[in-house]
Order: sequence, then C-alpha cells, then structure tokens
Amino acid sequence: MNTIPVIQLDGVGIRRSDGDVPLIEDVDWTVMAGDWWEITGAHGSGKSALLLALAGLVPTAGGTLTAFGEPVLSGAPKPPGWIPRVGLVFEGGGRLLRDLRVAENIALPTGYHHNCSLPEAVDRVWPWLEALDLERLADAPAGRVGRAWAQRIALARALSLGPEILLLDNPTAGMDPAHTVWWQGFLLRLCQGHPLLQGRPMTLIETTDNPRAAMNSLPRRAHLENGRLIVPGPRTDPV
Amino acid sequence: MLQAGRDLQLLMETLGLRALSFLDTTRRLAAFTLITMGVLATRAGTAHRVIHPLVRTQLVQAGILLLPIVAVVGMALGFAIVGQTLSILTQVGQTSLIGSLFVTVIFRELAPLGAALVVLARVGTPTVVELGTCRALGEVEALEALGIDPVHYLVVPRVVGITLAVVSLTVYLQLFAALSGWVFCFAANLPVSAGDYLGRIAGALHWFDFPVLGLKTLAFGACGSLIACYQGLSRPLRLEEVPGAATRTVAHSVVAFLLLDALFLVITLLLPG
Repeated sequence: MNTIPVIQLDGVGIRRSDGDVPLIEDVDWTVMAGDWWEITGAHGSGKSALLLALAGLVPTAGGTLTAFGEPVLSGAPKPPGWIPRVGLVFEGGGRLLRDLRVAENIALPTGYHHNCSLPEAVDRVWPWLEALDLERLADAPAGRVGRAWAQRIALARALSLGPEILLLDNPTAGMDPAHTVWWQGFLLRLCQGHPLLQGRPMTLIETTDNPRAAMNSLPRRAHLENGRLIVPGPRTDPV
Repeated sequence: MLQAGRDLQLLMETLGLRALSFLDTTRRLAAFTLITMGVLATRAGTAHRVIHPLVRTQLVQAGILLLPIVAVVGMALGFAIVGQTLSILTQVGQTSLIGSLFVTVIFRELAPLGAALVVLARVGTPTVVELGTCRALGEVEALEALGIDPVHYLVVPRVVGITLAVVSLTVYLQLFAALSGWVFCFAANLPVSAGDYLGRIAGALHWFDFPVLGLKTLAFGACGSLIACYQGLSRPLRLEEVPGAATRTVAHSVVAFLLLDALFLVITLLLPG
C-alpha cells in the first residue's frame, strides 16, 4: 500500500472559465505515490478543469492544493531550471505544436530544459519513440498525423521529461479498439514501472466520460457529479 | 433640438468609449511589453540552443526573404524622390541641396518607415495568425504544461528577430535608394558625379543621425512585433477572431509608427546642428 501523498486537495474549488460560477466545490482528495486514479463523470462535469488545476494551469477558488508538499499556484513564475514533475496529456489530439515534426514535438521539452539543440534532444528521446511505436512517424509534420497517433505523441512528449505524476485527460476518447487496448496496456506498464523510467511506478490520474472505458479493474475510481468529487474509501489491494 | 442633443450625447459616448478602449489597449500592451522585456532579461541564457535557431528563423523570414521587396521599394524611392528632385534642383542650380534632401527625407524618415511597413505587412500579420491559431488550439497551454514559458518560446524569438530585421532592412533600403538615385542621375545625364553625389549625402549626415536611426528602427521593429504578438496571444481567441486580430495589428502598428516617428522628429529637431 502506498503511503506517500503526492497530491493533496483540501476544500478545493474551481470556477468556470467564463465566470464566477463554481464548477467544482469543496474537494478533499489525497493521491498517493504510485496510485492510478480514474475520474469519471458526465461531459462538462469538470474533469478536465480538475486536471488542469492539478497541473497548475487553472487557478483554484479556495482551499489548498499541494503537489509534493508544495502549493500549486497557477500562473506563478517558474525559476530558470525548473522542470515540471507533473506531466499532462491533453484531450483530443494532445495539442501538439503543428509547426514542428513529430520527433521535434517530443524532443522540445528535453531540448528546452536541458539546453540542447532539437536534433540532440531527438536522439535523447528516441527510446520513447521506440517504446510508443512512433519511429515511422518521427519526420511527419505533427499537424498531419491522425488524432489517435497525435494522442500517443502527446503521451511521449509528456513522458520525455520523466514526470512522477501523469495526468491524462480522456486519453482514449474516440479511439478504435486497437488503440484503446494499447493505451490500457501501456498505462498499466507505466503504473507498474516502465524500464525507461528505471522501473519507478508512475502515479496516474486519468479522466474519462465513457463509463464503458472504465471497466479495467485496476484503477481506483472517483466520480464527479453535481460539482462534487465522490471518492471511495481507501483501497486495500496493492497495485 | 432634442434630436440634435441626443446625437451629440451619442457622439460623446462613442468617443468616450473609444478613448477608454484605446487607453485600456495601451495599458495592456505596456504590461505585455514589460513582461516580454522581463523574460528577455531573466532568461537570456536559458535554452539558447532552442531559442537561437528560432531567432534565426525569424531573421530569415523577416529579413533575408524580404530583401527583394525592400530592394524594389528602395529603388522606387530613389527614382521617385532623389532622381526627380535632383532633376529639378539641377534646373535651378541647387544640386548642393541633394545631400540634405536625401538625409532628411529618405535616411531619417522614409527608409525606417518603409522597412517597418514592409515587415509589418509581410511578417506582422502572419505572426498574429500563427500565434492566434496557436492560442486558439491550446498550444500555449501545452507549452505551459511542459514547463516552457510561452513568452520565452513564442514571443521573444519573434520580437528579437523582427526587430533586428527592421534595423537591417532599413540600412539596405537606404543603400538601394541612394544607388537608384545615382542611377537616375546617370541615366538622365545630370551634371552630378558619383563622388559629388555621395560626398553631399555624407556631408549632410550628423553624428546623431546614426544613434537616432538605430533607436528609431529598434523602436519600430520592437513596437510592430510586440503589437503582433500581443494581438495573437493576449487573450483566448476563437479561430474566427484571428483575422480581426490581424487587422487590428496593422491599424495599431501604423498609429504606433506615426507616433514614434513624431517623437523621433522632435528629438532630432531638439538636437544641436
């Protein structure tokens, strides 16, 4: 059983982006290192906003949100040399940079944070391209790859910095069964400890608005409904 | 009478709203400029192996690729202003004024303004579309999620590259204008030798022309590029709002260029000589 909390929410609220109306209120939630959480809820229930808040991209409205013991402050300036410990894969194609090639998209964070040119950074992240079966797309313009593959490229990009927590916003939405199966298998390997991450089990928080996709028995589930996050009691089964 | 009063009130309200909108835009643009300058200063050495190639790309797009059109504009200015004026001055026996005329009209005024307008038209507007689309498709948030400062990655290379391009293109435009002016003299068989022509231009230049020209072109380039980046990134855009932002960029930049031009004109007039 995991005992180290990596994310802690105490009474956290999130407002809608278009006004002061609360979207989520009074969330108390603790995520332990190595957990795999699946957040379900209807479309528009605030799952994406919750993930964005965890990544520090959306301000919280009240309460305390901490990651690794430090408060998560949206918009706070980051000191030079700061590397995010939380990775985020956006919904619907991963928001790749369209003017870069696939390999450059994946290599950009490494190049930026380790101050190496993009070709050098591509060499560094190449194992991730291999691990995610993306080698044949390496030179393709990112704006021209299909949505399912773009989502996988976004996953590689998020993993390239070796984050300790990975947030995935509805990663398998609209995918065919083959891609969905691949994702479930790969996320399981990440949770158990991927060799490219030195076998360190990764903490995963995944959202889905399709309850049928949440049939896998491994992730713990929380449900967003009427602005409240319904979290079940502590799990007793080890990951 | 009552209708006229209402019309006047409506006019005043419209003007007031416009003035408030202008002041608000100016305030936001000033804040955006300060943020960009802050990032430029604090992250000068950060990720330079990623950022410098982006600056070079901007220099190519806003500088080297625009050299042909700047050459055409410079030649046209040289023919239209230097050549024709010299022709008239020759008729009244005042060819000695050609140096002052070239420096005042082309060197100080038209060359910086012409280069800045060419860059604005060919690079400024696409910059708004690129950044506006980037924002609309959520790529800015993607950069933030990766710990990459969007201002550092998207704005700084464009501002630095476009500013340096305007400075360089201004110099080329001046050279092409001077060259084509002389070509006109030669073709029209005017009694002005090449040495005399260049000597009069050099003689009309003051020491302060060079720092003022440098500052002016830097200001034009920085102003145009900052306005373009601000319009593209300042607020979340829907895709259909991007063309409107491009139009606003042109309008705001032209007004800014004219205001800056007036400012530098006053500075030049206040300087001795």
